[in-house]
Amino acid sequence: MNDRESPPASNRISRRQLFQWAGAGLIVNVAGTLLYDPIGRLSMPINEALGSLLLSPNLTPEFPISAIEPDKLIVNSFRGTPEIDLASFQLKISGEVNNPISLNMTDIQKLPFNSMVIRQVCVEGWAAIVQWGGVRLRDLLILAQPKPSAKYVYFKSADGYYESWDWASSIHPQTLLAYQMNGQDLPAENGAPLRLAAPIKLGYKQSKWVTEVVVTSQLLPKRGYWEDLGYEWFGGL
Amino acid sequence: MIRTTKRDYLGQSSIVKIFHWVNMISLFGMIASGLQIYNANPVFGGREGLHIPWLFTLGGWLAGGRNWHFTLMWVYGLNLLAYGIYIFWTKRWRNRFVDRQDLKSLQASTNPKRRNYAWHRIVYTSIIPILLLAIASGLSMYQPVQFYWLASLFGDWQALRTAHFMTVPLVLLFTFIHSSLALGLGNGKIATAFLNLKNIES
Repeated sequence: MNDRESPPASNRISRRQLFQWAGAGLIVNVAGTLLYDPIGRLSMPINEALGSLLLSPNLTPEFPISAIEPDKLIVNSFRGTPEIDLASFQLKISGEVNNPISLNMTDIQKLPFNSMVIRQVCVEGWAAIVQWGGVRLRDLLILAQPKPSAKYVYFKSADGYYESWDWASSIHPQTLLAYQMNGQDLPAENGAPLRLAAPIKLGYKQSKWVTEVVVTSQLLPKRGYWEDLGYEWFGGL
Repeated sequence: MIRTTKRDYLGQSSIVKIFHWVNMISLFGMIASGLQIYNANPVFGGREGLHIPWLFTLGGWLAGGRNWHFTLMWVYGLNLLAYGIYIFWTKRWRNRFVDRQDLKSLQASTNPKRRNYAWHRIVYTSIIPILLLAIASGLSMYQPVQFYWLASLFGDWQALRTAHFMTVPLVLLFTFIHSSLALGLGNGKIATAFLNLKNIES
């Protein structure tokens, strides 16, 4: 037994202990940054399988027009808004299809129009309820007659952004190539003339300024701009 | 002043200790990686809002924070599920959580030890709804479309984010009160039963 007077060990935090905790916190913090990639490799395949399992092919509930939140939609882009000449704009659909096509905006606007009011959810954590109007990606893909080998859809954008989607999400009835937003023509900064819009994917999956749709049978090494930097590929909601 | 003992007080079984520590470590990992995600767009104030100091975050940037958060959610969730099965299987839920006796003794008992013990049971029982709130609100933000019925219970998106964030101060407050009570009760015998390191008897 110690004869020195001191409060019970449990009630006292010494300066040394405080330094030890701060040191441990620092080590955990640095290790957390160094290890985030292997940790992601561990869980992403499971989480992506879960996301794809949960994805329902049915319509997801929509919001009333009155719920639209125009001021909550933040404009994100990685290189700013590209200049697009509408007169020469063509959407090309190619790859694993029997009928590669090239459509201008007049052609696209003749296809059945679909409108939806959905929640746009950003990977950063914010969300906004938005009305999107445009053509179903499914209708465009049907025009191009996909081969049975079709499994993925790639999107190339005028600003160099690129994305890839799984087939089930691509043919979802609420996956649109939109040219209308909140009842107006789609603004340039939001992706005019054509952008992806869908309730079932995070915002980074929804490419703006889409110029090319390529159907593939395999996932290519470059899967998407943000995915190649570390984000999850499936990105389902 | 510190004596080591071989015997566990209150006889906490190994499996309960494992549940306890896996829960605590994964939960703090969830908090730190969650705060990393928070910093991408703070719940309060958006991009101009106050950011969490980097020392309390995990993952280095948004993708890193998400990787940790959505890895640890499995550890945290499956551990809690296993614990749930365990307490029903062993009927532990009948006598290990707060009961009428505790409430009665808080009203009537003059024995400070009994009263403290009742408070201790109330406090540690409260972590169960907090942990379930974290899962329900987290799942609602993770899959707001596929689990729209769950997400809609929280109201709009800001309310959902706020509910999920509130689990952080709730868990921190719980940890402070719970560990103070556990260390204080019976000269630390309750804490000793879980820590399994030393008997903090003075």
